[in-house]
Amino acid sequence: MVSKIGFIVNPIAGMGGRVGLKGTDGVLHKALELGAKPVAPMKAEETLKAFLSNYSSKDEIQWFTCSGEMGADILNNVRIKKIKIIYTNAEKNTVSEDTKRACEKLLENKVDLILFCGGDGTARDIFEIVGNKIPLLGIPSGVKMHSGVFGISTGATAKMLHEFISKTLTIGEAEIMDLDEELYRKGEWNIRLFGIAKGIVEPTYVQVGKTVYESVSDDEVKDELTEHIIDEIEKYKNYLFLFGSGGTIDYIAKKMNIYNTLLGIDAVYNKKCIGKDLNEEKILNLLKKYPKTKVILSPIGAQGFILGRGNLQLSPKVIKKIGIDNIIVISTPSKLASTPVIRVDSGDKKLDRLFTKKEFMMVVIGYRLSRVVRIQTNNF
Amino acid sequence: MKRNPTAFLKETYDELVKNSFDWKLRILETGSSPHSIVEGKKVIMLCSNNYLNLSNHPRLIKESIEAAKKYGAGSGSVRAIAGTMKLHMDVEKRLAKFKRTESSLIYQTGFAANAGLIPQLAGKGDIIISDELNHGSIIDGVRLTKADRAVFKHRDMGELEKVLIDADKKYNRILVITDGVFSMDGDIAPMDEIVKLAKKYGAMTYADDAHGEGVIGDDGRGIGAHFHIEGKIDVEMGTFSKAYGVVGGLIAGSQDLVNFALNKSRTWLLSGSHPPAVAGAQLAAIDVLETEPKHVKNLWSNTNYFKKELVSMGFDTGESETPITPVMVGESSKAKKLSDRLFDEGVFALPIIFPMVARDKARIRTMMNAGLTKSDLDFMLDKFEKLGKKLGII
Repeated sequence: MVSKIGFIVNPIAGMGGRVGLKGTDGVLHKALELGAKPVAPMKAEETLKAFLSNYSSKDEIQWFTCSGEMGADILNNVRIKKIKIIYTNAEKNTVSEDTKRACEKLLENKVDLILFCGGDGTARDIFEIVGNKIPLLGIPSGVKMHSGVFGISTGATAKMLHEFISKTLTIGEAEIMDLDEELYRKGEWNIRLFGIAKGIVEPTYVQVGKTVYESVSDDEVKDELTEHIIDEIEKYKNYLFLFGSGGTIDYIAKKMNIYNTLLGIDAVYNKKCIGKDLNEEKILNLLKKYPKTKVILSPIGAQGFILGRGNLQLSPKVIKKIGIDNIIVISTPSKLASTPVIRVDSGDKKLDRLFTKKEFMMVVIGYRLSRVVRIQTNNF
Repeated sequence: MKRNPTAFLKETYDELVKNSFDWKLRILETGSSPHSIVEGKKVIMLCSNNYLNLSNHPRLIKESIEAAKKYGAGSGSVRAIAGTMKLHMDVEKRLAKFKRTESSLIYQTGFAANAGLIPQLAGKGDIIISDELNHGSIIDGVRLTKADRAVFKHRDMGELEKVLIDADKKYNRILVITDGVFSMDGDIAPMDEIVKLAKKYGAMTYADDAHGEGVIGDDGRGIGAHFHIEGKIDVEMGTFSKAYGVVGGLIAGSQDLVNFALNKSRTWLLSGSHPPAVAGAQLAAIDVLETEPKHVKNLWSNTNYFKKELVSMGFDTGESETPITPVMVGESSKAKKLSDRLFDEGVFALPIIFPMVARDKARIRTMMNAGLTKSDLDFMLDKFEKLGKKLGII
């Protein structure tokens, strides 16, 4: 079968890193002045070379790409022949607009996967156009790579591409995260959750015969997690439950017919939503009324943060008030497979130390089933 | 509603066949012997659990026949009603003595022991803590409970303690379950440490020693003897189907455990008891283990030689500490190929592939037999070397 792979390179991604900038979004000229060198084309080439030499796939691939340094040049360099140029960029310095226009074309061409090279900014540009219609796989090359769509290295990305084509890996959720520019302009550095894209994940398997395992869909696992959360809510009747952000928690809330904000924090009492998309202040007010509270969190992004990325509302003040023993962490096993530790960057050293002391957390991975996962509190 | 109520039977099977996940039963034309005839081909058996070759031991065969002659072909009932013969009680008494525990109980199979007893040991408000690589029968036993379940990383005592600390605060009963010898890697659970940790946090311990019974510990007394902690593991569960060369599950522990288990395990209460021939052979197996130490000794000298030679050829045998020696191959397709070629060359060993083991850890699982001679081992080693080189494994 012919696989249709979209291929986009953001040639300027990663240039800010070595000159101390937090990305190239809008500061390219400054990066160039500071002597930044292109990184992305090299990383993209490395990935493709690894893919071609290690994973000779019987399946044919039709590549869809952009002209020049946004794709075609690199494919030509590694002697890939089956190329269709679907977008020609207008200006010399590639900007996010080019990426977005190219993605519109990839959508039209119904590609199976978009392989891109860049950082969080590029992932966000692509996500803005394709949403969760096409799975994304990122070759890590940016300065910020918090989104869950990136491979951990060029070699690992090549392997994932091969395993996607040979159908060993499956499609799952991946968060798109990036710097919150609004806060950044105010001098605050915060990584925000922008949306839930499709990424490539290791399936969850259960043993059904002696040597036969069946992969279980993410939804089946999430159904189990829903049952678990329902039990918890029934067990702790007089507790307020804060539902964190992300796709897994959103699925659970929807299954329970409770309103939920995908990218925000909501409050649930007695299986009803009593507070939507709450900010820190609103949460603190609720905590005054409901001194007994539990918060449900799920690891977010490539590094598996449960606090400190994408949920600034859960400030140190909030978490201290709730108590770290009242945090329920849930995750699908396939997500844990890509983030074997869970990370905390609460923004408060004392609070971080409490997590460091705790060392491990019981993460719920199925109905009444949990596993021990190490907590890491270093700043990333 | 109009439906074909049984269409799924064929559909499911066809799907299994399509993905090569169906079991293709290999028919033995001899008994399970070190040299067997499988599908018309003479092979060295390297994938049976008959570690000590006791299934072919004259005393077991004789006692089996004698018992059948004396007591008949069947037992007539479940144990609880009218199916407990003196012979069954004798086996349990002898087994407890052999295992150096206060008491013991025989189940119909090892699976019946796990599926019957585990759900009775923990329920709502309790927690079962399980090694991530535990056997499927434990997992099924655990699934039948209303207890919470927590999984710790394979043999990781640091993680186990963290779960215990957490569990100590939240639950009534705590049960730690582990395989004794792990069937895929042949490594051994650090049972002494598990017992120590469990004691510290008031937890019960349960070891499924199916692959350790008759293999580890002095004269094959199992994991309790291996760590010199006989009687300290709350439930030592095992089987007569592997090294003992017969069939049946077993538990060994306190009299309280046995009284509880036989009154509560539904599998035990609701299945017929072993036929006299089985019980006779079980008794003889214990007898042989107590009086003929050569079998266990042979098993280990064969294992050590085979393992040493494989490693010197350049094979990776993983973390194995027992007669289960995995020969690491890497990719699943290669492991299948090696297994097929070995069979062609007269060695019967099964591949273990993803997702039973990690994607890059596909292997041939070899299980040593005390009845193999040095020339048998050299014959197999020669085949492994030849094919290993051919397939680029070594």
